[in-house]
Amino acid sequence: MHPRVFLQIRKQSVRFGALRAGLAGAILGGGLLVGAGLAQTGGETAPAVPVEPTLTPLPPPSLNFYGNAGLMDMPSAEMLPDGQFSTGIAYFGGQTRYNLTFQAVPWMSATFRYNAIQDWNLGGFSTYYDRSFDVRFRLFRERRYFPEVTLGLQDFVGTGVYAGEYIVATKTFATPGWGARAGQGGTLKLTGGLGWGRLGSHGGSGGGGDRPSFNPGDTGGEVSYDQWFRGPFAPFAGIEWRPNDRLGLKLEYSSDDYVTETQITSVFEKRSPFNFGVEYQASERTRIGAYYMYGSELGVNLQVQLNPKQPPTLMRVPAPAPVAKRPSRSANPEAWSTAWTQGRSAPLQLRDVLDPILRADGLVLESLTVGADAAELRFRNLQYMSYANAVGRAARAMARAMPASVETFRLVPLSGGMALSATTIRRSDLEALEFDGDATDALLAVTAFSDAPPQAAAAVPAGDLYPNFSWALTPYFSPSYFDPDRPFRIDVGAALRGTWQPAPGWTISGNIRQRIAGNVKDGRESNSVLPHVRTDQVEYAQYDTTLNNLFVAKQWRPGRDLYARATAGYLETMYGGLSGELLWKPVSSPLALGVEANYVKKRDFDQLFGFQDYDVFTGHATAYYEFGGGFLGQLAVGRYLAGDVGATISLDRFFENGWSVGAFATKTDVSSEDFGEGSFDKGIRFRIPVGWFLGKPSRQAFGTTIRPIQRDGGQMVHVPGRLYGQVREAHRNALTDQWARVWE
Amino acid sequence: MIGKSRLASGIALLALLTACSGGVDAPALQLQVIDAAREAISARTAPKPERPPLTRAVLDTLEGAFLEVTREREDLSAFLYVSGQTRDAAPGAITIWRTETNETLALRGGVLIATRALGGDLLSTELRLAPGGLGPASGARVLHVRNADNRQAVLPLACEVSDLGSETIEIIGARHATRHLRETCEGAGGTVVNDYWVDAGQGLIWQSRQWAGPHIGYLRLRQITN
Repeated sequence: MHPRVFLQIRKQSVRFGALRAGLAGAILGGGLLVGAGLAQTGGETAPAVPVEPTLTPLPPPSLNFYGNAGLMDMPSAEMLPDGQFSTGIAYFGGQTRYNLTFQAVPWMSATFRYNAIQDWNLGGFSTYYDRSFDVRFRLFRERRYFPEVTLGLQDFVGTGVYAGEYIVATKTFATPGWGARAGQGGTLKLTGGLGWGRLGSHGGSGGGGDRPSFNPGDTGGEVSYDQWFRGPFAPFAGIEWRPNDRLGLKLEYSSDDYVTETQITSVFEKRSPFNFGVEYQASERTRIGAYYMYGSELGVNLQVQLNPKQPPTLMRVPAPAPVAKRPSRSANPEAWSTAWTQGRSAPLQLRDVLDPILRADGLVLESLTVGADAAELRFRNLQYMSYANAVGRAARAMARAMPASVETFRLVPLSGGMALSATTIRRSDLEALEFDGDATDALLAVTAFSDAPPQAAAAVPAGDLYPNFSWALTPYFSPSYFDPDRPFRIDVGAALRGTWQPAPGWTISGNIRQRIAGNVKDGRESNSVLPHVRTDQVEYAQYDTTLNNLFVAKQWRPGRDLYARATAGYLETMYGGLSGELLWKPVSSPLALGVEANYVKKRDFDQLFGFQDYDVFTGHATAYYEFGGGFLGQLAVGRYLAGDVGATISLDRFFENGWSVGAFATKTDVSSEDFGEGSFDKGIRFRIPVGWFLGKPSRQAFGTTIRPIQRDGGQMVHVPGRLYGQVREAHRNALTDQWARVWE
Repeated sequence: MIGKSRLASGIALLALLTACSGGVDAPALQLQVIDAAREAISARTAPKPERPPLTRAVLDTLEGAFLEVTREREDLSAFLYVSGQTRDAAPGAITIWRTETNETLALRGGVLIATRALGGDLLSTELRLAPGGLGPASGARVLHVRNADNRQAVLPLACEVSDLGSETIEIIGARHATRHLRETCEGAGGTVVNDYWVDAGQGLIWQSRQWAGPHIGYLRLRQITN
């Protein structure tokens, strides 16, 4: 069959489908999600319905004033659900604690806290601001006759105003409900534990070793293992009763005597070790509580818990067209003829049929190579956070457009012109398995993942893709955290971004910002004794119109399993220069190795075209390892912006929907004294995909990095388009973890 | 100088209100959020479409088969047309029904096996059909559901089909003689009850109420034209 005739038939059948849809719309209209509610009259439905199976998780434990599972000031042994991300504000007696807790694995959680204590009047602070980290480890799970047991280290790094350690046990009992829905009872939780440090200060006894006393003038940052479980210890206990799924009543006996707050200075007056509270679940994610604390103070606690695995809106991707089946070979041998390969224009025609089908699904054709029985599609994924989804749509598009004789599809996603991986799917498997009972796993079993080979000479490039210009005019927000005078500052304005891609792999991009309002410029000046490689942010914030970046970048594949990038220009707000990177990452390997070398100069404070008199060679060798379960560890060794030499270690957890949460720490040859407050560089970072909120496919995400304090030691230059992030998402681990999306 | 920077700020402020983009790349993050907010507002404020009452006379003017589907939890209905029919190695003809807004249901022998674009979709179903490939048979049923965490959740159910006898049902002025089959499935911590009104003579299920997994719940299906 001649290709043109073949293609026309396909187009016609598509049009017929659209015609039918239009007819339905004219008379009937509406969809299952937006259609008007119509009461159905005919057809009796089943009588009183029994309980359906559910995948909705149980309500999580409530949080204490430190943002951990617990009572008021005392912790319980409960762990939050895996992946839970909780935040909140607790206040009593002039003390405010902002807490952020992440349940990194089912048996371990970590907390970051920012606190303010009014009427402190010690060491030159009228209000004392501090940051602290906690970790908790579950030692034993709750069993029928045995409680859950957890070990916790509170404020275990740094100056340690809240430093305390504990071992705590919690047992849960079912009780009759009160005001609960039918079939649901209440829950009683009994907690008892032993605390050290702050948590061993009331009614304490015994204990081994000396515990250094709290020194607010310390630079902090060191892990204070020399004081863990030292000094007196004291018992604490508590009861929480939840009569129904909204209400909670709490009572605790606190082993915290608030020695510094009530005896050395007078933040509040403590009259009793007993605390009382009542809590109410205001919404699925929000719980509010009111408390009577230490016989003298009223307290409040706002707790917000969310889980990356539980989006506010379920993702809905417009349904794909069913896989077009080929006529059977015996019934229609003509359709299977390979005579179409004789026509010189056949690949061009096929590309022109395929491109609009891909575009309708948010994919962009970059090139197409067709043979009699196999075809390779190289495409850009603009829309899907999950490459499995993109690959599935690309495969369906190929099944619609390719002549019947093409049996093997090789699908190669590109990022910045760089081929990321090759997923090879047989067309007959697509046809046979689309409605298979276990379609997801059945297709995975017959799909191959490999490195993308160099593009074939016969590849037909996209007709009109290059040169390619895109631009966007958007608002921007630039926050600054933890200034002792004002913990949160922000600049807002408009950003104009333009990106020009003259040829595959080449990018020329720029970003101009116009600030409208903000207070970052009123922040503190640097007191760093190191070169001011990052602490001049206030100087940089004095200007309204700035060139955020302007650079030219080239990405390419120098060889098998190798990825390369070269970038030159104004890389970020503070630095400009040259950057080169080489990454080794086999498609199926959990290990990747990379090297990056940069020569950068510090930009003028006005962030236009000039440079200051500071330049540095900075670069790192980095090992990346995927431990499974979404955990990615990184170890980078090299030279940092201030010329210091050292290493950065980080651990991030990636969720299947694009969420990630991680922490990092850097130690270099800069001494703790020279580094200043915090002793070494550390922080947390997270990324929340827009699709998680909107329930629509999108590759965009919000993200930020939060450091307890920004200093000059252990700082890297920010280079746009680092390789690992682009490559990992389309490699075997990410594809198979998210394979459930392939048929969507 | 001050006037100039005021002017720039004013232009930038205007830009915020009219955020926009162009080119091949996907729209910027802020734009996607603004668009979604705009859509949500217009969906809330839009008047409900007035629709004339459906009569058999109106339906008779339609060509082809239409399926009315109601999501019970949300009380939302839509009319679906056939966007594909196929068979594979397993018994039962497969029909893909599609709404105007690109949501689909796939039915094998009249039994729901997959949904798309409803959110928390039924990805696939392992099932046994009655002899002849129409309606369910007793036995194991495994639902593969797209869970909120982007993974596939597997719900194994044990199903028992009972025949509740013949019933004549009316669907918008058309009467059909059917047998009422009730399928009761236990498993995954709950019970599912599906009902089917089967017309063996015509070889189709005129009406059913089927569970589409924990995120979607029950769907009521009526074939309003054939």
